[in-house]
Amino acid sequence: MTVAVEFKKVSRHFGAVKAVDEVDLKIDEGSFFAMLGPSGSGKTTSLRLISGFDQPSAGSIHIFGEACETAPPNRRPVNTVFQDYALFPHLSIRDNVAYGLMVRGVRKNLRHQEADEMLSLVKLDNFGDRKPAQLSGGQRQRVALARALVNKPRVLLLDEPLGALDLKLREQMQEELKALQQRLGITFVFVTHDQTEALSMADKIAVFNAGGIVQIGTPEEVYHRPRTKFVADFVGSSNLVPPQISLDLGGQSCWSSLKPEALTLTKQEGAKVVGTVKSIRYLGATNRVMIQVGETELSALLSNTADHWTRGDFVGLQVKPGALYAMEENT
Amino acid sequence: MSRAFTVQPGSVHTGVAGRLSDLFWRRPKLLLALMLAPPLLWLGIIYVGSLFSLLLQSFFSIDEFSGLIQYEFTLKTYRELLRPANYDIILRTTLMAAAVTLASVVIAFPISYFAARYARGRMKAIFYLGVMLPLWSSYLVKVYAWKLILAKEGILSWFFDSVGLMPVLEAVLALPVIGGNSLSVSYIGTFLVFLYVWLPFMILPIQASLERVPANLLEASGDLGASQGQTFRYVVLPLALPGIVAGSIFTFSLTLGDYIIPQIVGSSRLFIGQAVYAHQGTAGNIPLAAAFAVVPIIIMAFYLWMAKRKGAFDAL
Repeated sequence: MTVAVEFKKVSRHFGAVKAVDEVDLKIDEGSFFAMLGPSGSGKTTSLRLISGFDQPSAGSIHIFGEACETAPPNRRPVNTVFQDYALFPHLSIRDNVAYGLMVRGVRKNLRHQEADEMLSLVKLDNFGDRKPAQLSGGQRQRVALARALVNKPRVLLLDEPLGALDLKLREQMQEELKALQQRLGITFVFVTHDQTEALSMADKIAVFNAGGIVQIGTPEEVYHRPRTKFVADFVGSSNLVPPQISLDLGGQSCWSSLKPEALTLTKQEGAKVVGTVKSIRYLGATNRVMIQVGETELSALLSNTADHWTRGDFVGLQVKPGALYAMEENT
Repeated sequence: MSRAFTVQPGSVHTGVAGRLSDLFWRRPKLLLALMLAPPLLWLGIIYVGSLFSLLLQSFFSIDEFSGLIQYEFTLKTYRELLRPANYDIILRTTLMAAAVTLASVVIAFPISYFAARYARGRMKAIFYLGVMLPLWSSYLVKVYAWKLILAKEGILSWFFDSVGLMPVLEAVLALPVIGGNSLSVSYIGTFLVFLYVWLPFMILPIQASLERVPANLLEASGDLGASQGQTFRYVVLPLALPGIVAGSIFTFSLTLGDYIIPQIVGSSRLFIGQAVYAHQGTAGNIPLAAAFAVVPIIIMAFYLWMAKRKGAFDAL
């Protein structure tokens, strides 16, 4: 499989701040790649290094095998969908979409024709004559997408593409983006701080923290087998189980991660691990039950039809076999 | 204990102020009308009214023998404007205003661009101070200072002499029409002083309009394949255009109306402002003075109309 984007020991320092620090990264062609992390973790800076808005302090960046650390944005086979869309307010929607073709010298009627085709791809037929200010957030998002795609990029970069949309629209756009990516077969690289977004859309996720990548893997790997406490906490709202409890529950004697849905409660008698029910939150189909075990607080996601527990109950804890994952980093 | 809903003591408005406040709360439009009345009266009566009376005056004429104003509607005064001597004044002033405007756009743009894009904190404060500081001193002092700078034995010719570029200055002064005996008595001198005095009025609006261009628009343009030059041509310039037009309204109309600078620095040929001054004063020809004063208004109206047609305000 061809590698679309490759980072080799890439760093970007702003004075003493190491925004990106010695990052190695490979993004396969045709994949839907998510860069996930909290703000300030280096994911947006990494995206800007690919697009060329920023240059690395050290290391090399290859796009389809070509070193391009110093190439300006207009010489790279990538296009960006900006977080706040960055549509040109003085141009019509059609001219916005046709912009990339215009600066390459494509004739007016040809580029307008292509722009209209692209607008119809993102379901915005008949919007060509309007101005960006006359469109809703979701529509502007589509224009930004069309404007980038009309240039036939080999890699499409999306910076928090759905951040400004409301929940319902966001879910709809997630599906559309995924479908679009599969149809066009272009490599999509998108930055997000929303773990469900990353999990639901990406083929592969790179979890960023403090300027570095903590884990790269498929959504399943990152969700079920977090390598570090950070990933466990950030990606899956997993329980972090201390070594002793992990051992007692049948896992290894080290910090382990445990999904709330893999934890079940039993009667206290005969259980190796016991705790107190601290709180119960009704979530519709499930209840979120918080259990205090010594110093540790664990959360369990229990079906509503199961046994009823009340606050203050002493309960025994059980995990499904193989649900405890030992983490590599134990600090 | 049940508590009846009562108005808290002390919150009931009593007295004139209280009742007025309540009235304004019930009728917000009344307050708005009261606030707008003084400025509207000022604009309507004193400003537009005098403009209208000026317009009216220009349709009267003067009796050439008695020197008295004939209060009869006529276009005779406007025909007078087209006499070669008067027409020359209009042409000269308009060309000067256009040259000053063009030059100030060229000089102001990079300064404004720097201030809007790159200057932060202390640099920005220095920028504002640098642009505004000349406005704090008297206009007359500045113009006389320029007269000294541009004079035959002045600072500029001394400078040219000491770096051995005197022939260049002499060659420039030898140019027909715009040259002259020295810079201070040539059109070039008038131009330079106009340019200096009005420059802040061009820098500030352009800077304000550039300030409103988000940086990611420039990035988006580059990302879509545009070179730096194309980004400037297709994104920066159109978005800065309202600022440029606003600034040029200042420089253009201020130059059209000024009657002091060309009197102190320049060849002693008249500009519109001076003509108005002369006709309404010593000559006592108020109708002609009024007709002259209408010319800049027409030019500006035409200019704005053209700018609108060319889409200068589309980005607003």
